[in-house]
Amino acid sequence: MFRLQSSKVLAVEMTGDAVKAKNGSMVAYDGDMAFKKLTGGGDGIRGMVTRRLTGEQMTVMEVRGRGICWFADRASDINLVGLQGDTLSVESSNLLATDGGLRTGTVFTGLRGASQGNGLFTTTVEGHGQVAIMSDGPAVLLRVSPQYPLTVDPGAYVAHQGNLRRSLQSGVTFRTLLGEGGGEAFQMRFEGDGLVYVQPSERNTIGGDV
Amino acid sequence: MPFREINSKVVEAAVVPGRRLFSQRGAMLAYRGEVAFTPSTTGGQGGLRSMIGRRVAGEDTPLMTVEGSGTVLFGHGGHHIQVIDLSGDTLYVEADRLLAFEGTLEQGTMFLGSQGGVMGMVRGQVSGQGLFTTTLKGHGSVAVMAHGGVIEIPVTPRRPVHVDPQAYVAHHGEVRNKLSTALGWRDMVGRGSGEAFQLELSGSGAVFVQASEEKL
Amino acid sequence: MSTYGTPGAGPRPGVTVHDPTTLPSDDNVDPYTFCVELAGSRWFLQKGKMIAYYGTIDFNGVGHGRLDRIVRTSFHSPLHASDWVVAEGTGRMLLADRAFDVNSYDLEEGNLTIRSGNLLAFQPSLSLKQSIVPGFLTLIGTGKFVAVSNGPVVFMEPPLRVDPQALVGWADCPSPCHHYDHGYMTGVLGGLRALTGLGGASGEEHQFEFVGAGTVLLQSSESLMPEQATGVTPQQAGVPGGGGSGAHGQGTGAPRLPGQLGDLQRRFGL
Repeated sequence: MFRLQSSKVLAVEMTGDAVKAKNGSMVAYDGDMAFKKLTGGGDGIRGMVTRRLTGEQMTVMEVRGRGICWFADRASDINLVGLQGDTLSVESSNLLATDGGLRTGTVFTGLRGASQGNGLFTTTVEGHGQVAIMSDGPAVLLRVSPQYPLTVDPGAYVAHQGNLRRSLQSGVTFRTLLGEGGGEAFQMRFEGDGLVYVQPSERNTIGGDV
Repeated sequence: MPFREINSKVVEAAVVPGRRLFSQRGAMLAYRGEVAFTPSTTGGQGGLRSMIGRRVAGEDTPLMTVEGSGTVLFGHGGHHIQVIDLSGDTLYVEADRLLAFEGTLEQGTMFLGSQGGVMGMVRGQVSGQGLFTTTLKGHGSVAVMAHGGVIEIPVTPRRPVHVDPQAYVAHHGEVRNKLSTALGWRDMVGRGSGEAFQLELSGSGAVFVQASEEKL
Repeated sequence: MSTYGTPGAGPRPGVTVHDPTTLPSDDNVDPYTFCVELAGSRWFLQKGKMIAYYGTIDFNGVGHGRLDRIVRTSFHSPLHASDWVVAEGTGRMLLADRAFDVNSYDLEEGNLTIRSGNLLAFQPSLSLKQSIVPGFLTLIGTGKFVAVSNGPVVFMEPPLRVDPQALVGWADCPSPCHHYDHGYMTGVLGGLRALTGLGGASGEEHQFEFVGAGTVLLQSSESLMPEQATGVTPQQAGVPGGGGSGAHGQGTGAPRLPGQLGDLQRRFGL
């Protein structure tokens, strides 16, 4: 059972069940808890490739026990999302915790620079249960519908769900004087029907010059 | 109530003659009136012994005496501030988290994790965190800083609380503390790291935990 | 058409979902996000602060040829062109900056001086000038601008002394002057610090003093947001920071930031 103890602290009440959480994000617990290190990125070959790509950043732990466990990470704001058989896509570094029964997998979603460490990795979470995602500042939820497509700065993108097409656009509407601005700006475009979570802050990505 | 919370990151203190305050150096944001800030090595009434204690403990955060007549705004680095009122009991808090406190409180130093014995030593040396912590005792208010705000978790005799030492801010009440590990915890974080231990608090009181594993 | 939202799924109840019809116009969405409505109009924004938008909006670097005229009328500060962009088009865009608090201010034939790093966006009806205080910018005229602060802004009225690092800006009152706490500086420890250089400077030794009628804006910050280049000041005698012949022996050293003690120790004979 996930609830927010404060806007930046997640409390999970457990009765013998398990949650998966970002490694090192436990700040306190009462009762009895056992911790187990999991390797990130889900199972199978795709998970292996992902682990190779993302390195330690994706390390996940499993916490199992009875009592309350509190999670927080670098004073990030926490947003709860309920899944009922649908899929949530979340920028991997923004995933804090999921119910133990949810399935996760990670894909590299683009922007050049897997090797430079500033690309985007998206984790998909599927099944029935709760997910806690983090944002730097409280996330703003924006609805995308056919008449209202949305453009997002990749550095502010946190997560999306629903029937959405996501595409990366480079420098389409961004012009600067030659030599100013230092390269192209990437933007993320969403079309279809669904929800997008953006944070009031920008990660350092190669895009986002606007 | 000498401290009034203006917002989550700024507190206002009324300074009146005869009732001095102590604050961390650099914590003053603005003031009005005739207020004097004087560096103080001893801080509080702890005297020489507590001064040596702090020196040993590396808890020698420079404090200032704030005296006079006026209004002072305190804040630091955009950190969240929690005001804790003490009515006779003792607050245990790391010195660098102290933003300001009333001069009526008696300041001291205490060995944290003493019941942990050898483990306590290991923790302090490995993680580089203070083995000692500052104690404030008596009647008065304390303004404490935390990264991302704090939550207060009650400690009751039947429910001890385990806290990540990095996220620990302060505790009060009749609480015993020791260092412990949970099942699987050391294998997970690695034996060599200071994070291999958790602070176990038992008894009755409350512990303040911040929403981050970052030290200030 | 926005049919998404199966009962029980999605965000928990009570969380607001926005779309272009519910987003505010030129107002805060929450304390950390500001929504600008563009209807063929323009806004200046600091680069990198747009987080999302609906509609058709173009972003052009300041200095882009077509914008020469508007830049001429709004920018009277030799700002580095690459730090600012002009947004124009139709739609709603969200602005935010490192999860700092965001506030908008309306000026009516007024003036407000603000730390350069705290200014996020402004309407072209305002003109932006360099303040005589290094590192600060002055907005003059009528219009709206958006500023960020570390924690909510605290509004205070003079008389007041402020730690330079906590100062966001001021409106209507005369420029501040320096105030040095002589007692703090000359005390045993102050002297020790001056001799050894240990401990650095903090707001307790040196403040900005405000007097007169007006409003002073404060934030909880000792660690400053990075300052935006306000451009160089003319190399001219009598201009603070200009490094002209009038400057007193500072030579070619880096411009002194507010909050640094500089040659203060010497002045106190320490």
